[in-house]
Amino acid sequence: MQPANLALITLFAPLVAAAINGLFLRRRGVAAAALSVLAAGTSLVAGLTLILTAEPFSVSASWLSLGGFHLELGLLFNSLSALMLFVVVVVGFIIHVFSLGYMSDDPCRGRFFAGMSLFMFSMIGVTLADNLFLLFVFWEMVGLSSYLLISFYFEKPSAVAAGNKAFIVNRVGDFGFLLGIIWVYWTYGTMSITEVTHLADSGLVKTGIGLLIFCGAVGKSGQIPLHVWLPDAMEGPTPVSALIHAATMVAAGIYLLCRVGAIMTGEALTVIIWIGVATALYAGFCALPQKDIKKILAYSTISQLGYMVAAFGLGAKLALVGGDAHGVHAAVNGGVAAAMFHLTTHAFFKALLFLGAGSIIHACHHEQNIFNMGGLARKMPVTFAAFTVGLLALVGIPPLAGFWSKDAILALAYESNTLIFWLLVFGALLTGAYMTRLWVVAFLGQPKSGKAENAHENGWVITLPLIVLAIGAALAGFRGLYPEAFSGVLNAVPHPEEGLGMIIGAGIAAGAIGILGAWFFYRPGAMQDNLQRSAPAVYRFLAARLWFDEVYGWYVAKVQQRLAQLLSFLEQVFVSGLLVRGAAGMVGLVGLGTRALHTGSIHGYVYWFFFGLVALWLLSIGL
Amino acid sequence: MSVGLEDYLAVSGLLFAIGFFGVLLRRNTLIIYMGLELMLNASTLALVAFSRYNNTMDGNVFVFFIITVAAAEVAVGLAIIVALFRKRQTIQVDQHNALRN
Repeated sequence: MQPANLALITLFAPLVAAAINGLFLRRRGVAAAALSVLAAGTSLVAGLTLILTAEPFSVSASWLSLGGFHLELGLLFNSLSALMLFVVVVVGFIIHVFSLGYMSDDPCRGRFFAGMSLFMFSMIGVTLADNLFLLFVFWEMVGLSSYLLISFYFEKPSAVAAGNKAFIVNRVGDFGFLLGIIWVYWTYGTMSITEVTHLADSGLVKTGIGLLIFCGAVGKSGQIPLHVWLPDAMEGPTPVSALIHAATMVAAGIYLLCRVGAIMTGEALTVIIWIGVATALYAGFCALPQKDIKKILAYSTISQLGYMVAAFGLGAKLALVGGDAHGVHAAVNGGVAAAMFHLTTHAFFKALLFLGAGSIIHACHHEQNIFNMGGLARKMPVTFAAFTVGLLALVGIPPLAGFWSKDAILALAYESNTLIFWLLVFGALLTGAYMTRLWVVAFLGQPKSGKAENAHENGWVITLPLIVLAIGAALAGFRGLYPEAFSGVLNAVPHPEEGLGMIIGAGIAAGAIGILGAWFFYRPGAMQDNLQRSAPAVYRFLAARLWFDEVYGWYVAKVQQRLAQLLSFLEQVFVSGLLVRGAAGMVGLVGLGTRALHTGSIHGYVYWFFFGLVALWLLSIGL
Repeated sequence: MSVGLEDYLAVSGLLFAIGFFGVLLRRNTLIIYMGLELMLNASTLALVAFSRYNNTMDGNVFVFFIITVAAAEVAVGLAIIVALFRKRQTIQVDQHNALRN
């Protein structure tokens, strides 16, 4: 089959499922679930066939032609999109299967699976789109499906608020992204990713464009200062958190950076690096005092996304400064490779951790507070084992996946900047600490509530995806296992040439210190956070998360709302009052005057007729 | 004493004035209608007088048409007044002020 047709099947199968589910099967959960899983399976088969058989290609068709403005829709398939597509279809399919079990007792499954399929369609679209315009369309559609799925439990006010928050915060980032796209078109006269990359190669790069496009990634990938929506997004069902808010959609920002990395200047890259590093550390601290199992994982996701952003910036800047043969504008440099590699391994182990959390939550009847769990290791052995694999992979313990990709990022940092290197190493320590805290409190000790007491292992529909993902999380770090199609990206993953022992040693040591510290600090079976008991001031400071939400709340309520009220007042007075009502009022006054002439008495009309006649007569005789 | 154009015109003007003030001042629709007819006849009288004075037939031809049309108009007008009376049980014009304001 033609590669383009395969790509189209991969893309449109979920859309068909979404349309049928959304329009006809909203009350038939079983049929909707089967259809969505079938569509995800179709995408998986077609996508994998495409990845394994197709050479890189690009097809496009003219869609809109307005004078000198031409808009093309098309697909661009290369090793970068192959890797992203691989992540999306594989993780997507596994999570669809998991959802069969997790959502089995939900009456609104039709709506849920319609949203999931719509998301798959949009995300595959983001992966394959060949121009920025089309990419932006799909970008907004992943935002929409994310919104729909976060607010899935719409009878809960907090879920509705979280959905709105995610949508609005993403609008802020997407506004910058849109401005960046317009600026790209203004500068280069095209929006095709291939052509823009090619033109940018010849030196027409602007810092502003890069930063504006980065705005989109900041919003979608939860970087400071637009990270606030991602922890709240955990209000959605757990498979949604795993698929959208951990493995794929939030990684779209990283993918965007890698896809159009050529338009970044050195200054823009410096900003990107520091935002990534700050996010990685900040989110690590935020995860420490959290009690909700999903929020811990959400902050962990933000932190790892920070690593990816920093990796992209570091590698691209190295290539820019070093001016090596590939150059910063080559499709794949060390930064792109390291970021995408970490994205891939992260998708596996973070989806695993979220599904593990989902398995726990399902078994504990929607209990999410880890201090109400405890003792789950004996009750849920499969989940426990899989979760432990995911945890070790995330912390970066060899030979699991996270070790290899984090190692590549640390190698880039070591080569560029010692301070950043040590900051990222410290981030690895935090990762070990907050993950081990979760693990100790939730799995060890005695059950701390009736729900945890009665928990038991879930059925195979839930545990099988965990096992598959655990194998993935264990093996995803070995680049030799990947098919040839990804070699364009994976061969460029940086190898530390000097300081190898230092990098590996620091990375492992940081993770181990984090794990051991938390192991001894948090006692299994404690009903309360040990940090809260021993150092309440520190705990409160960390739990406040640098007051981002409060500052935004203050800004919206006290600054923006006041400005809006002022503008509304001016609008009421001038536009609505003076112009609109004023014009209507004038007409009304004239109407009042002329209406008085209509007396309804025939004699009045005769008088007027008579006066009119006299006037005409006077006029005709020249007075 | 001979009767000249001026006398005819004086009678015509008098008739017209009577009809006009009848229309202007009376409230009964029938009387107003009679006033209208008086004005119409005043104008025909003036036309006949001018026709005679100029020794042409033009005015007389007009008058024939006016009389014909007036007959038709009376039929229609009276029918309207009867219909109005049936509808509102009165033919006083100050009761018929539905168009007021």
